[in-house]
Amino acid sequence: MGRTNVKFIGQVRLAPVVSYVVSGIVLVILPLVVPIYFESILTRILIFAIFALSLNLIWGYTGLISLGHAASFGVASYTIGILTVHYGIESFWLLAPAGILMATLVATVFGFIALRVSGVYFLLVTLALGQLVYAIATKWTSMTGGSNGLPGIPLPILGLPWFTWNATYFYYFVLVVFVICFFLLYRIVNSPFGHALEGIRDSEPRMRSLGYQAWLHKYIAFIVAGLFAGVAGILFAPFLGLIAPVYCSVTTSTLVMVMVLIGGKRVFFGPVIGTALIIILENFSSGFVPERWPLILGGAIVVSVMFLRGGISVYLVKFWEKVRYRYGGA
Amino acid sequence: MEVVGMQLLIGVSYGMLLFVLAAGLTLIMGVMKILNLAHGSLYVFGAYAGVVLTHLSGPWSNFWLATLAGGLAGGLIGLMLERGFLSHLYKELDEQVLLTFGFIYIFENVARWIWGPWLKIVRPPPFLSGSIDVGRLSFPTYRFAIIAIGLMIALGLWFLVQRTRVGSIIRAGMDDKEMTQGLGLNYRLIGSAIFFFGAFLAGVAGFLGAALSGVTPFMGIDIMLLAVIVIVIGGMGSILGALLGAMLLGIINSFGKAFFPDFVLFTAYLAMVAILLFRPTGLLGRKEI
Repeated sequence: MGRTNVKFIGQVRLAPVVSYVVSGIVLVILPLVVPIYFESILTRILIFAIFALSLNLIWGYTGLISLGHAASFGVASYTIGILTVHYGIESFWLLAPAGILMATLVATVFGFIALRVSGVYFLLVTLALGQLVYAIATKWTSMTGGSNGLPGIPLPILGLPWFTWNATYFYYFVLVVFVICFFLLYRIVNSPFGHALEGIRDSEPRMRSLGYQAWLHKYIAFIVAGLFAGVAGILFAPFLGLIAPVYCSVTTSTLVMVMVLIGGKRVFFGPVIGTALIIILENFSSGFVPERWPLILGGAIVVSVMFLRGGISVYLVKFWEKVRYRYGGA
Repeated sequence: MEVVGMQLLIGVSYGMLLFVLAAGLTLIMGVMKILNLAHGSLYVFGAYAGVVLTHLSGPWSNFWLATLAGGLAGGLIGLMLERGFLSHLYKELDEQVLLTFGFIYIFENVARWIWGPWLKIVRPPPFLSGSIDVGRLSFPTYRFAIIAIGLMIALGLWFLVQRTRVGSIIRAGMDDKEMTQGLGLNYRLIGSAIFFFGAFLAGVAGFLGAALSGVTPFMGIDIMLLAVIVIVIGGMGSILGALLGAMLLGIINSFGKAFFPDFVLFTAYLAMVAILLFRPTGLLGRKEI
């Protein structure tokens, strides 16, 4: 069915390739030139960017508003944490699949339940399911450490005898995973499957009458989103060194929604920009006015909902188009 | 037996409090189709407003005036939210949800800024601070007072919605907003009034609840989640449903806390999921929103 319904302005043949290559080079060089503190911010940005991109698959592309997306993320983190702390499993090659599998499983079950309803009911079911995970994480103290969280999660052990971690290596490790996830998700949203998701977002009855299995498409999108949230989760627990119930809760789900919204949910790389902005803003404000961070975050949410419809990346893309028309010819 | 009686009283009175809070939320949801997640923050501000007035007026403090102040604080902030922001986001559910969640952050931090992060213990007014003896048991009077106030509000709301002209406009709007507007009714005004009124109830609930559990700036999100569970159980838009849902949750909560404290929230969320799946309109809901 060609590219009829594609609203993605950034799909110019050369421009994205160039900008991706340039950003890639910047991301590779950056940790060599910035202080070690910024390295950890960059790592955090990349982890949350995977999380935000996964949310955008179901929110921006499929039109499902889930308030429980952090469940997959948190469950993956907790799987890593519990297996390491309680069972002494430390090999990354065992932990990572286990974490991703659990996250995917959560999404498979939750999606099956939540997709029976739509609209505000879908939102509320995902909220309740997410809070269910949060309640378990808070109350199952013997396993999860309760509301104090589960500390003592080491960086993943890769099984290479000559290799020891430092912050820079871990950054590059996360960067590699991020690039893989970015590429895979990019391929997914630009595949016929991805276009079908957009069709479902814009008009589900139309897609159904065209013969698409709308429910199955949404379900698969939900599971895939859970899988990638799990990838972010397995990176996050070792990065932070601990995991706490708040990372399963509606607070984290909405935080990631805000990242997607500010970045822009109709441009593929938008969530990455939004994530970077929010995390940089958070670090700035915790440097100057740590007490007022929630106020600043709330203000940013209100401003972006009221005035930045479509998000910042839309303006970036428009700016790029302008530059291109002025200097680049066709 | 004594434990059961006590827990029942605690459950019913807490349920009444939840009802006053959730009634506002369910009215707003039913009439305006707006999911106001900042409803719990209005509860917090209502509580603080009442407490501040009580403090300021010292020996002349009046419980009813303070309750009114709590309600007005909630109502005015709610009106500001609706006129300034939510009225521009009609029918955009994801934007409403994010905006009101943003306001949770803002309100929580502002409340913390003004009043500090500590738990403020509030005592019931002198004339309600005694206890009533039933047999060998003595129950705190304040909990009875909350039940009485809650029942009055429930009755008043029922009368307003079912027996008055305004109520029939509200019900018409719940069923078909466009048609109601087409009949020449100023639904914008009515919507704002409903929002103010719902937020007013949140503020009232906040001040009433302050003497039960104290106030902290951070309780807005938890109490909002409870109110959401209530209106889901009862059915969005239904006053009677909110009453039923609030009673159920209040009683589950008090008995659960006494006998199996680790599973209260779990049970509540599970109930919410079950209801949304098998009876999305809730136990007493009018129709799908």
